[in-house]
Amino acid sequence: MLVEFGHFALVLAFALTLVQCFVPLWGGLTSDERLMAVAPPVSVLTFVLVLLSFAVLTAAYLNSDFSVLNVIENSHSAKPLLYKFTGVWGNHEGSMLLWVLILVFFGALVGLFGGNLPKDLRAVTLSVQGWVSAGFLLFLLATSNPFARVTNPPLEGGDLNPILQDIGLAIHPPLLYVGYVGFSITFSFAIAALILGRLDAAWARWVRPWTLLAWCFLTLGIAMGSYWAYYELGWGGWWFWDPVENASFMPWLAGTALLHSAIVMEKREALKVWTVLLAIFTFSLSLLGTFLVRSGVLTSVHAFATDPARGVFILALLCFFIGGSLTLYAWRAPMLKQGGLFAPISREGGLVLNNLFLTAACAAVFVGTLYPLVLDATTGEKISVGAPFFNLTFGPLMVPLLLAVPFGPVLSWKRGDLLAALQRLYAALGLAIVMVIFTFWLWGMQKVLAPLGVGLAVWVMAGAISEIITRVRVFDVGVKRGFARLTGLPGSAWGTALAHFGIGLTVLGIVTASAFQEERVQTMRPGDTISLVGYDVTFDGAAPRRGPNYTEEVGHFTIRQGGTIVTELDPSKRVYTARQMPTTEAAIHTTGFSQLYLSLGESRGDGAVDVRVYFKPLITLIWIGCIIMSIGAVCSMADRRLRIGAPKPAAKSKAAGALPAE
Amino acid sequence: MTRKQRRLTLIGTAGVVLAVALSLILVVLRDNLVFFQSPTEITEKAIPPGQRIRLGGLVEEGSVIWTDNAEVSFKVTDTANTVAVTYKGILPDLFREGQGVVTEGVIGPNGVFVADSVLAKHDENYMPKEVAEALKAQGHWQGENAAAN
Amino acid sequence: MLFWILIAFLTGAAALTVLVPASRARKAREREVMSADEAVYREQLSAIDSELDRGLIDAEAAKAARTEVGRRLLAAHDRQGSAAEAEVGQGRVKFVQAIAVVALPLLAVGIYLVLGSPDLPDAPLAARMNAPADEQSVDVLVARVERHLSENPQDGQGWAVVAPVYLSLERPQDAAAAYANAIRLLGPRADWYADMGEALTVSERGLVTAAAQGAFEKALDLDADAVKPRFFLAIALAQEGKTGEAIAAWNRLLEGADENAAWVQAARRQLAELETPRAASQAQPGPTRDQVEASQEMSPEDRQAMISDMVGRLADRLASDGGTAMEWTRLIRAYMVMGDREKAENALVEAMDEYADKPGDLSLIKDAANELGLSGS
Repeated sequence: MLVEFGHFALVLAFALTLVQCFVPLWGGLTSDERLMAVAPPVSVLTFVLVLLSFAVLTAAYLNSDFSVLNVIENSHSAKPLLYKFTGVWGNHEGSMLLWVLILVFFGALVGLFGGNLPKDLRAVTLSVQGWVSAGFLLFLLATSNPFARVTNPPLEGGDLNPILQDIGLAIHPPLLYVGYVGFSITFSFAIAALILGRLDAAWARWVRPWTLLAWCFLTLGIAMGSYWAYYELGWGGWWFWDPVENASFMPWLAGTALLHSAIVMEKREALKVWTVLLAIFTFSLSLLGTFLVRSGVLTSVHAFATDPARGVFILALLCFFIGGSLTLYAWRAPMLKQGGLFAPISREGGLVLNNLFLTAACAAVFVGTLYPLVLDATTGEKISVGAPFFNLTFGPLMVPLLLAVPFGPVLSWKRGDLLAALQRLYAALGLAIVMVIFTFWLWGMQKVLAPLGVGLAVWVMAGAISEIITRVRVFDVGVKRGFARLTGLPGSAWGTALAHFGIGLTVLGIVTASAFQEERVQTMRPGDTISLVGYDVTFDGAAPRRGPNYTEEVGHFTIRQGGTIVTELDPSKRVYTARQMPTTEAAIHTTGFSQLYLSLGESRGDGAVDVRVYFKPLITLIWIGCIIMSIGAVCSMADRRLRIGAPKPAAKSKAAGALPAE
Repeated sequence: MTRKQRRLTLIGTAGVVLAVALSLILVVLRDNLVFFQSPTEITEKAIPPGQRIRLGGLVEEGSVIWTDNAEVSFKVTDTANTVAVTYKGILPDLFREGQGVVTEGVIGPNGVFVADSVLAKHDENYMPKEVAEALKAQGHWQGENAAAN
Repeated sequence: MLFWILIAFLTGAAALTVLVPASRARKAREREVMSADEAVYREQLSAIDSELDRGLIDAEAAKAARTEVGRRLLAAHDRQGSAAEAEVGQGRVKFVQAIAVVALPLLAVGIYLVLGSPDLPDAPLAARMNAPADEQSVDVLVARVERHLSENPQDGQGWAVVAPVYLSLERPQDAAAAYANAIRLLGPRADWYADMGEALTVSERGLVTAAAQGAFEKALDLDADAVKPRFFLAIALAQEGKTGEAIAAWNRLLEGADENAAWVQAARRQLAELETPRAASQAQPGPTRDQVEASQEMSPEDRQAMISDMVGRLADRLASDGGTAMEWTRLIRAYMVMGDREKAENALVEAMDEYADKPGDLSLIKDAANELGLSGS
C-alpha cells in the first residue's frame, strides 16, 4: 500500500505540474492576479508530493521490498544499510526521481521566498519551472517508472553495481544534480523575462544568487566525481575527458560565465541580453548532459540502462526546451532594453573577456564531446577524440583567462586604468616570477611548461590575496584598523578572492600532479621493494578477506622513508558476490598535499602480483581548490549588500590605493 | 571613445578571440581524431605504423600471456581476423578472455599493436558499442538486446 | 480502503491549493511591477547610507553610487506610466476552478489506474520472513531457514529440518550437504544417513555412487532393518552388474514385507526386470529414474509424462520467444536426464547461437554442456 501511495503521489505531482504550466502563465499574460496566485502553493505542494514518493521509494529500498522492480534490480538484502539508501539514486529510475525532486524543490523555493518579486514575474517563472517539471515527470512515468511492481516478489535482488557501492555515490550525484538542476531556475527566470518582455531590477538581483547556489554545488559535485574516479577506478587518473565528465563540465563553464556576466548585469544593468542567452545556454547544457548520460548514447558506468525509448524521449524534451527557448529568445530579445555603457578597459570589459574565453573553452569541450556522436550518427564512422584534443584546445584558452583573472577585481567599473591595476599587482607578479625560477631550479630545464604553469597558478593566487590586502589598505591604516576593515569587507569581496584563490590552487595541483608525477608498474613478489621519490614500498604479501557482500584479496605493503616506517597500505581487489564483479580498491597515503597511490593488478600465482605505485605531488590541491571556490560562492551568496557598480570618480583614479566603489 | 567605437571595440575583440578559438579547435581536432578499427579492418587496410588507432574486439580465449614486470600480451579478434597486442600496465578489472575490449595505441613495425590504454566493459552487461558493431559486421551478432539489458 | 482515503485526501489537498488562492486573491494586480523595481532601488539607496555610516565606503564612492541608483530610480519611475491596466474576467477563475475540481482528480486517478497496481500489497523482506509460517510459500520458508543457518551454522536441528525440504524442491546436493551437517553436529542417525544417500543418488540422476553407498551402509550399521538403505543398495548391486547378488538382496528385502507398503511394488518390478533376459541392458549403470521415483511414492509413468510435458513446453517457449541462459541449460539438462542426447545437442547448438554475443552467458551454457558430457562446439 505504501509503495502504491508513493506511486500515486508522483502521478498527482505530474497532474499538478500541468496546472502549474498553464494557469500562472495565463494569469501572467492577462495580468489576472487570481491565476498568478495559484503558482506558489502549487509549486510547494508539488515538491511535497515528489518528496513523498521519493521517501516511499527509499523506504522500499531500506525494507528490501522486492515487489518493486527497481528494488529487485538494484538492491540486495545483504547490502550495507548506507548503500541501500544511496542505491535509491544509483540507478536510472531513482536518479531521475532525484533529479525531478531537486527540480521541484527549486520551484518550491521560488514559491516560498519569492515574495519580493513582481507577482507576474514570479508566476511566469514558476510556470516555466512547471513546464520543465512536467516534462521530466512525464518522462519518469512513461519510460522509467520507479514504482513498477511484480506480482511474485523474489527473495533476493540483483544488487547494486559494485563500482557504485561507495561513499562517493552517496555524495556525488545529489551535489551534481543540485548544480545541474539549480540552473533551471535561472533558465526559468530568463524565459519569464522573455515572455513578459521585461527585465526588472528584481530580475537582476535574483539571478546571481541562484546561479551562485547552483554553481557552488556543481563545483563540489564535479570535484567529488573526480576524486571518486581517482580512488575507485584504480588508475590514478582524476580527469579523463570522458564524455560523461564533459557533460557536467560544460554547464560548469557556461555557469561560470553566467556568474560573471550576472555581476555586470546586477551592478551596471549592462549585458542583460547576453546574460539571458547564457542562462538559456547553461541550462540547455545541463539538459544535454542529462541526455548524454541517461539516453544510453554513451555507454559508461553512468548509463545504468539503455533503452531507445528513453533516449528518444529525452531528445524530444531537449529539442522542445532548447529549441523553444532559443526561438523565444530570437523573437523577444530585441525588445529588451540595453543597459549601461563601459570602456573596453574596465571591470565590465574584464568580465566580458572572461565570458569570451569561458564560452570558447566550453565550445571546444562541446565539439570534442559531440563530434564523435554526430559523425557516428551521420556517417557511421567510429572515431574518438582523446585527451590530447582537450588538452591542446582547453589549455591554451585557459592561459589568457588565468592571466587576466587578477586584473578583473582591481579594475574600476565603467572605465578602468590598466597601469594602475598592474601597480597593485606588482607583488603578485614578483611572487609568480620567483616561483617560476624556483621551480626551474628544483626540476631543471627538461620541463619548460610546468614551471610556467606553476607561475600562472601562483600569479592567480597571489593576485587574489593582494586584492584583499589592497582593499584593507593595511599598509595605509595600520594593522589594527586593517583587521577591522578585513572583518568589515563585504562577502562578495571575500567570495571573489576565495574563488580566484581556489582556481589558482586547482591549477597548481593540476600542473604539479601531471608534470611531476612519478609512476612505477611492476610485478612484485612478497619481500620485493620499489623505490620511488624517497619512499621504499615493500610488498609483504597478500591474504584473502571477507566483507559483507564481497570477498577480497588484500595486499599488505609497508612504506618506509629512509628506513623508518611511514605507513602501511592495504590495496585490494574485490569480487562482489551477487554479480561476481571485480573492483580495484586503491590505497592512498597522504603526506602534506601530496599522495602516494597504490593499486593492485593481476595476481600471477606464487604470491606475485602486479602493482602500480604513483607519487602525485600536490594532487589534493585540485580538490581543495574546488572546495575553496565553493566557499567563495557561499560568501558571495551571504552578501546582502547593495549590488550596484558606480564608476570611480575620475579625479581620484590615480590616487594609489583608492578603492573601486562598489 | 564614442558609443559606437566602444561597441565596435567590444565586438571586434570578441570576434578575434572567437575566431582564434575556433581555428584552434578545428586544427587540433583534425590532428587528434582516433579512428576505431576492427582486426579485420587493420588486416585489410594496411594502416601505417605510428598512427594512433583504437582497436576493439574480443580477447581471444587462451591468448593472454603474462610476461614479467606487469607486461601482458594478448590477441584481439573479431572472429574473422586476429591482431596481437602488447600492453604494459594494470589491466582493467573486467578484462577477461572471451570478453569485449577496446585498446588504444599504435601498430609497431613488427605488426604487433602496442597499446597504451586498455578499456574493458564497466559491468557484465556492457559490451563496448564499437565492439558490438564490429562483431555484427562479421555476422556473429544475433540479438539486438544483448547490449540493452 | 485506507489507501483510497489517503488518495482522496491527497487529491483534495491538491485541488484546494489551486482553488483557495484563485478565489482569494484580488482580481486585478495593482501597479506593483514598477513599484517593485522602485523598492529595489530605494533599498539600495538606504544601504548606501548605512554603509557610509559604518565607514565601509567613503563619501566620494557613496555619492557616485547614489547618483547611479538615482538615475535608475528615475528611469523606473518613468516606465511606470506605461503599466498595462489589468483586465478582469470572471470566466477565467471559473475555468480554473473547474480544472481543480474535475480535471485534476480525473487525470491523476486515471493515469494512476493505468500505471499503478492498487491491489498489490507491500512486501518488505523482513515482514515476509517473519510472517506466520502457514501463510508462506515454501521458498520464503527455505530462505528464512537459510538466513538463520548462515548466521548460526552450528544449528544441527535447522539443517535436519531443511534437508528434506531441499530434496522435495529438487535441490538434492543442498539436501545431501544439509544432512551431512546435521549428522556432523548432532551425531549419526540411521534415517539421516539413508536420506543423505537418497539425496546423493538423486543428485546423480539415479546412479548410486560410492558416496551414496557409503551413506547407506552407515545407515545399515545403525539400523540393520531399515528398508530404504537396503532398497538402494540392491539397486546399486544391479547397477554394478552384480545381478545375482542384486536378486538375492531384493528377495531378502521382500521377505516378510508388508505387501501394502508403497515401495514393495517398485521392488517387485526391479526384481522382475533382473530375472528376465532383458535384465542385462537394465543392469548397466545409468539413469534409473523410475527406481528413485518409485521410492518417492509417485507413479513413474505419471512423472515421466509430466516431465516430458514440462520439457516440451519449455522447449516451445525458448524456440519462439528465446529465454535466459539458465533456462537453456535447464532444457539441455532435462533432455540429457530423459536420455535424449540428440535433442540435447540440438538445444545446445541453438542456445550457443542465441548467446554467441554474450560471452558470460555463453560460458555458462558451455560449462553446463561440458558437465553433461556434451561437446560445446
